Amino acid sequence: MKFSKYIKDNLYKLIIFAICYIINLLIFWAFKVDKSVIISSSFLYIICFLLILLIPYFRKRKFYTDLLENIRVLDKSYLVLETLMKPEFYEGELLYQALYEINKSMNENVRLIEEHLQDFKEYIEMWIHEVKIPLSTLVLMSNNHKEQFDKKTKLQLKRLENYVDQVLYYARSENAEKDYLIKEIDLSKVIKNVGLKNMDELLENKIDYIVGNVKYKVLTDSKWLEFILGQIVNNSIKYKRDIDNSYIKISVKDEDNKTILIIEDNGIGIKDSDLKQVFDKSFTGENGRSISKSTGMGLFIAKNMCEKLGHKIDIESKYNEYTKVLIKFAKNKYYDVLK
Amino acid sequence: MIVEDDKIISNELKKLLDNNGYETSTLKDYKNALEEIINEKPDLILLDINIPFINGEVLLQSLRKKSNIPVIMVTSINSEIDEALSISYGADDYITKPYNPNILLLRIGAVLKRTKTNYGSIQTELTYKDLKFDIQKGIIKKDNNEIELTKNEMIIFSYLLNHQNKIVTRDELMTALWDNSEYVNENALTVNISRLRNKLKEIGYPDVIDTRKGMGYILL
Repeated sequence: MKFSKYIKDNLYKLIIFAICYIINLLIFWAFKVDKSVIISSSFLYIICFLLILLIPYFRKRKFYTDLLENIRVLDKSYLVLETLMKPEFYEGELLYQALYEINKSMNENVRLIEEHLQDFKEYIEMWIHEVKIPLSTLVLMSNNHKEQFDKKTKLQLKRLENYVDQVLYYARSENAEKDYLIKEIDLSKVIKNVGLKNMDELLENKIDYIVGNVKYKVLTDSKWLEFILGQIVNNSIKYKRDIDNSYIKISVKDEDNKTILIIEDNGIGIKDSDLKQVFDKSFTGENGRSISKSTGMGLFIAKNMCEKLGHKIDIESKYNEYTKVLIKFAKNKYYDVLK
Repeated sequence: MIVEDDKIISNELKKLLDNNGYETSTLKDYKNALEEIINEKPDLILLDINIPFINGEVLLQSLRKKSNIPVIMVTSINSEIDEALSISYGADDYITKPYNPNILLLRIGAVLKRTKTNYGSIQTELTYKDLKFDIQKGIIKKDNNEIELTKNEMIIFSYLLNHQNKIVTRDELMTALWDNSEYVNENALTVNISRLRNKLKEIGYPDVIDTRKGMGYILL
């Protein structure tokens, strides 16, 4: 609360006072009152006026400066009401009351939206489980009746499955609740499962799946990691170069305090200008636009999940040469001691 | 035995298993699921979690109190927590829909093998005609002749041997190889098969692996 602004706001009081004072002086002069009386009553007048002007200023100043300062400091400024004492002057009470009501109705609104969102998420999860039933039926049918379903159908089913999985893990990774389980798992098993899942596409696209020594254990949720790795492998398949010896190389680098999973391909790579944004939501980049229809969600979800699990995911690439994704798992010494 | 309430999926599953030499039945009465299972005494149960009247996990728990029949949980819920729960209730394996049929078959085979060897001795030797196949050492023996197989050839030969006189698709062989962390490509598979053929020829069995065009291979 600035004093000058306050004075400006209360200028009318000063004007009224000045007019009264002048009239008063005129009256005194008309009745020929003694000079000393004029001086002493003027003095009283001015003191009274200053008090009337300043007392409310100091009463209000604390409340308003606290209000503004707290709004500035708090990272959730809508909680400001909780930090304030109820003011003792009428205007402040009104403001306080108004803020209180606004807060209440906003909370109500937020709660409704949260409920909606929760309902929606639950519905999506349920829907995914439902849609997997016809999907698995189709997969089985395509296997049992090879004469009616050719390989193309199978690959389309695989794509469908991947998109459904993306939705599922997106819903899960955005959820505040914890629905993952971190335990010690064998990286080679996850890599094997991802390989098996994408075998048809890898073979179809003549991409070699080269796995080095990956017999390492890391702390993670195996299903989540399988999904993350699946997204990366899928991208490598999608953005392969038209060369004879396409490959996806998977290896592990074991360091003192972390284990690094490296997935490298010799696909089309990513341009420098796009590289920083590949983990952004809905970012498709030049590759996504020119080669295939991309939703730009895969890597975004993967990064989100990595953050939740406490892993770090990085990407390196050289256009027209290679793309390299690194996932870093922390080693927990404390956990080692407990084992 | 297949415990799955979706009729179409359970029919397709039955067809798949029948085609691959398993004898299958489906659960008919979900109200008395436990009794029906115990009366029938199947070698293996494929158990869906979402079944009417009783939840698959609850059924598994009550089944475990009475019997050790191997159970593979089949579910559309793909989460580590559910898997951990199912395993803790006594499931032998956990597969999520939509599953790759070849992988499903491999898993079924693996669970059956594992549970069977629990009763008897571990199977380390297979026989083919008068050949003895030592799985652990990867050696084929005939009288005093020995031939060493590479890991890939071994996986292929044992898969063919386990499906003798049936057509085995390249897809199936690929799945078996990849499931053993041997990520070979199409060319490598062809090469491995022809090497295996040569080795069998050396030991006196030429032309036992026949190519069926557009379908796969068959071990006669």
